[in-house]
Amino acid sequence: MLTARHASLMSLAVGHQYSSLASQPILCSSIPGLVPKQLRFCRNYVEIMPSVAQGVKIGIQECQHQFRGRRWNCTTVNDNLAIFGPVLDRATRESAFVHAIASAGVAFAVTRACAEGSATICGCDNRRKGPPGEGWKWGGCSEDVDFGNMVSREFADARENRPDARSAMNRHNNEAGRTSIADHMYLKCKCHGLSGSCEVKTCWWSQPDFRVIGDYMKDKYDSASEMVVEKHRESRGWVETLRPRFTYFKPPTETDLVYYETSPNFCEPNPETGSFGTRDRACNLTSHGIDGCDLLCCGRGHNTRTEARKEKCHCIFHWCCYVSCQECTRIYDVHTCK
Amino acid sequence: MAGAIIENMSTKKLVILGVLLLLFQAFSFMVGGLIAPSPTTAIHYMATKCVDNVKGHHQAKKWFVPWGPKKCDKIRDFEEAMAKRIEANNIVFAVHIPMPDKEMSPWFQFMLVILQFDIAFKMHNQIEDGAMVTVDVGLAYRDSTVSEWTEMAHSVELRKLSCNFTTAKTIENEGRHYECDVLPFMEIGSVFHKYYLLNIRLPVNERKKVNVGIGEIKDIRLVGIHQNGGFTKVWFAMKTFLTPSILIIMIWYWRRITMMSRPPVLLEKVIFALGISMTFINIPVEWFSVGFEWTWMLLFSDIRQGIFYAMLLSFWIIFCGEHLMDQTERNRFSMYWKQVGPIVFGSFCLFIFDMCERGVQLTNPFFSIWASDVGTELAMAFIIVAGICACLYFLFLCFMVYQVFRNISGKRSSLPAMTKARRLHYEGLIFRFKFLMLVTLACAAMTVIFFIISQVNEGHWHWGDYTVQVNSAFFTGIYGMWNLYVFALMFLYAPSHKRYGDEQSSGDQVGNSGEDIQLTTTITHVDGPTEVYKMMGKEAQE
Repeated sequence: MLTARHASLMSLAVGHQYSSLASQPILCSSIPGLVPKQLRFCRNYVEIMPSVAQGVKIGIQECQHQFRGRRWNCTTVNDNLAIFGPVLDRATRESAFVHAIASAGVAFAVTRACAEGSATICGCDNRRKGPPGEGWKWGGCSEDVDFGNMVSREFADARENRPDARSAMNRHNNEAGRTSIADHMYLKCKCHGLSGSCEVKTCWWSQPDFRVIGDYMKDKYDSASEMVVEKHRESRGWVETLRPRFTYFKPPTETDLVYYETSPNFCEPNPETGSFGTRDRACNLTSHGIDGCDLLCCGRGHNTRTEARKEKCHCIFHWCCYVSCQECTRIYDVHTCK
Repeated sequence: MAGAIIENMSTKKLVILGVLLLLFQAFSFMVGGLIAPSPTTAIHYMATKCVDNVKGHHQAKKWFVPWGPKKCDKIRDFEEAMAKRIEANNIVFAVHIPMPDKEMSPWFQFMLVILQFDIAFKMHNQIEDGAMVTVDVGLAYRDSTVSEWTEMAHSVELRKLSCNFTTAKTIENEGRHYECDVLPFMEIGSVFHKYYLLNIRLPVNERKKVNVGIGEIKDIRLVGIHQNGGFTKVWFAMKTFLTPSILIIMIWYWRRITMMSRPPVLLEKVIFALGISMTFINIPVEWFSVGFEWTWMLLFSDIRQGIFYAMLLSFWIIFCGEHLMDQTERNRFSMYWKQVGPIVFGSFCLFIFDMCERGVQLTNPFFSIWASDVGTELAMAFIIVAGICACLYFLFLCFMVYQVFRNISGKRSSLPAMTKARRLHYEGLIFRFKFLMLVTLACAAMTVIFFIISQVNEGHWHWGDYTVQVNSAFFTGIYGMWNLYVFALMFLYAPSHKRYGDEQSSGDQVGNSGEDIQLTTTITHVDGPTEVYKMMGKEAQE
């Protein structure tokens, strides 16, 4: 049960991972593991479901990029509903990161999809003056970003409504992911007044490159706050809340990630914690960081073999789709963990 | 004898007038801040990458629509294109303006589109220095969702990529995006159709070095900016209301001048000209843009504004010059060539610049003078010359204002020697004269302050349930302010009628002696100088 619980949002990404997302309509009932609220949401917003899935996917890709040289490298398994394995079942830093980056990815992708015009429900809501449809002609639209955040909030947080600590943690981390998008929007302006002067100036917020969000979330992963679970008795029963473990550290803000269980060390395979171990992972001999052979292999040592690889070289690139290259052979030393 | 109304008006009436004008001023700010929406809207468009499967280019031009029933075959990213062996020349970036379920409206007045490339850093495919992008772009429109697209414009444009990569250019940072400046892309002066479609190609030709070395383009983003319909309506309403107000006071003013026995003096003519140029701006010809496709409206309103600004600046110079109270005979426009020259020359430069930019855009909406190096230099040259002219003008103006005030204080020092009644009278006159100078300064300061506020502010303030649109308030408020300024000027500086009634006050009779005829100030010998100047002149003699 636990496994399915944290899986559904992520499974969206797998189910459609290699199909052309944009062209196929999504059947809501075919997505495994949706709670009723999400199912309802999916049916109402079926137009943007492909972008929700795409968002989770770019979140996971970013996770894998950010953790590429680490013991835990955001590995996904494709044959399982819980694509990360049991890693996310524990309330660890890794879970916190994955939730935050996935919810940021959803907000990001939905905002982007709105700009592509792939959904009619984006942006322009009826909060503006005038009768529906006229609002746009009177005062334009609201920002797509708000809509992207709303979708992410509605969808990703839909299942995090229990009064337990894990829900509280997920809610917090999801929100942190979305806030990071909002905080990294940058303002661009254009002057178009008399003779192009700044007498009239129009500004708009642009979304950053998702890598920027990834870098930022990675920092937040490194400085995530450890919490402890507190139980209160309220009218609706026992409620679990989170409190910072160390009072002498600054309490976490809205943008910080929180967790309350320590991570396994991910050195040895362990089906219980979801660790795949680092055996056979390639390591960097010259690095003294976490991707160096010493640390990545957890002191077990490494094997070295020499590989001749055929590579493309002296290439001519076009901006798209075309590379004309020669083929060169280069010799590499490949180090893998024992 | 008589002067302008301001000199013969009682302080009480002056205060009443001031309060009335202030009320109108507050009203014009409120119209913009509370009724109108923000002046413009910017909408993001992410170009859809369509695949042109049509072999050969001999058949009729095909338009690629990003969504809707006849949407094109699209690809999500260029890895997909690579796998499917699609060439760069067969990829069309399609953008439909506006978004689904919306339509454009003539009330939007104008539309400009800004281009932004998302270019990923690749070690082996970096952006070369001074890389130029060649954009083959077509613009089409239609007025119903089912009809065919009609071509509006087609052009091959060059744009200079100015991108920088802030992090280290290492293999780890591959895939990060460059930070690219936004590029001006398109500008149309009337949004007459409901739907617009842009098809952009980036053709590659290795031999001619076209689109080579521009990095790995990931996406094309456009930002469409148009004026909000609500703002246009409020603006038109304001113009429609202001036109008759200024027109009536203008007619009244000119009637008063022609009723006098003497020909009008320079200052009076200049004030009248200011009124004409204000009316020229006010006349709401823009109403026609709702019914006709007049793309030149944008250029036309630039010209109208330019004429008004030039007129206002000339007026200030002449206003100061005619109040200098030195012994020089002015009252001729040619006396001011040195000061008005820079204004005319500077405005002319900006006019040429505007013709080069918005004028050419009438035929090719994708033209931008900033796109080519020569154009940029030319444009910069025009702007710098205009800037120098502006500086020169302000130096002249400041010097003249300084001279006027120096002369006033010089005359003032002799005030205590006069009788009490006369002194009070004169002091009142000096006050009123300075009052108008201060009003001008206040107006200018208000303009500058509001301009700064609207520049630094994000555009709207929340006050409980109310949202105040600061930018709209700025436009309507400042526009209203200069209208009120011109209105007040024509009213207060119209010749007074009191001379037809009581040939008044002791001071005048004394002043009619020969000595102040040689002083020759603003208002000709026929009518004699206005009280202020005459009094000033007299004191100097005393």
